[in-house]
Amino acid sequence: MDPVFMAQVMVRLLPPLGLTMLISVTALAIATPLGLALGAFRAEARPGHWAARLIDAWVFFVRGTPILVQIFAIYFLLPKAGLDVPLFWMGVIALVFNSAGYQIEIGRAAVQSVHKGQWEAATALGFDRPATLRQFILPQAARRMMGPVMNELSQLIKASSVLSIITLFELHKAAEAIISANLRFSEVLVVEGFLYFVFIYGISLIAGLMERQMASSGGLASSR
Amino acid sequence: MSFDWGTFAEYGPRMLRAAGVTVQVSVLSLGLACLFAPPLATARLIGPRPLRWLVQAFVEVVRGVPPLVVIAFVYFALPRVGLVLSGFWTGVAALTVVGTVYAVEILRAAIESLGRGQLEAALALGFPRWRAYLELLLPQALRRILPPLTNELANVIKASALLSVISVHEITQVGNALIFETFVVVEILVQMTLLYLVIVGSVTVLSRRLERSLAA
Repeated sequence: MDPVFMAQVMVRLLPPLGLTMLISVTALAIATPLGLALGAFRAEARPGHWAARLIDAWVFFVRGTPILVQIFAIYFLLPKAGLDVPLFWMGVIALVFNSAGYQIEIGRAAVQSVHKGQWEAATALGFDRPATLRQFILPQAARRMMGPVMNELSQLIKASSVLSIITLFELHKAAEAIISANLRFSEVLVVEGFLYFVFIYGISLIAGLMERQMASSGGLASSR
Repeated sequence: MSFDWGTFAEYGPRMLRAAGVTVQVSVLSLGLACLFAPPLATARLIGPRPLRWLVQAFVEVVRGVPPLVVIAFVYFALPRVGLVLSGFWTGVAALTVVGTVYAVEILRAAIESLGRGQLEAALALGFPRWRAYLELLLPQALRRILPPLTNELANVIKASALLSVISVHEITQVGNALIFETFVVVEILVQMTLLYLVIVGSVTVLSRRLERSLAA
């Protein structure tokens, strides 16, 4: 272990770390509202509705296949469909597709966890179902989603490393490039692992705190 | 351009063999993880303090980095310490590391879910702590972890796709190679997906069955 080399590696890995964070946060910012909306729809839809089936198929596919296969599918199929998407957005699409599959379930559980009395009270006050959902249920559900969603962010940071395979120059790809240029693996992997660990562990600590806070006000347990 | 079912007959056998590798790698890894997890969880819960910290640090670090980093580390580090393994066994080693820390967490959660009452009752009856742990808590916890452990098998199967980067000939690696060999994209992606859905799906069904039969 050569501390000077490690410091150099650290400096060179900071911009790719920025990309890792940017792509994870972008994906989260799209996937969370999507998950809440579709999850709420799924909780409300009557069983057998075609859109509910479609959502179930999405969740089933995302949970039943490795993220690498989902990334390949997007990487190969988008150009085949004639869409010329830049690599960064391909990565975002892949992460959103994957993460929303999990967050639909989080959103659904959050909506269903809101007490029935809230629905009844709103109905008694003359609100119809969509208005109740929008004005009373969703804001509470969104609050309860916070803990699991923070967890999802650390999952996304981990998942974004897989985007290295479609040559997106994020943290893991950058580390691989330094390894093959210098033929030194231990220092590079230790620095890379340290960078991932600080963020992922930090975020999961915050998620745990938020969940405990929510639990005291009737929140959700962790999803994964 | 239409969907060519003939590719299923043509590449099916290779994909099925790859599916066999995926299952073998995953089952072997989780099996080994199940051997390592009980002693580690024991050390984590009732070991001497430095050992407890060491195990916890190991668990947190492996959970806090992407599995790809663990795979890369094992891939580079094993030959460095004189262990030159085939791609397959390197893959097993890497997934065992990942599987072990999750199994330790599952076991720890199961033991802690048993509640303090049992431990206190045993201590009150004069059992030493380690005997209460080994003879009372651990056997009960081992029964409880079966459903989450099958769930973890599904996760290990999905993580095994990452072994394609160290050229283990599992579903993703073989499928990807076939795509570049033949330029048949859609049909091969569908085959990969179906294989994973069948394997992961049956593991999930098994997990739910176990959960119900243990709850009864």
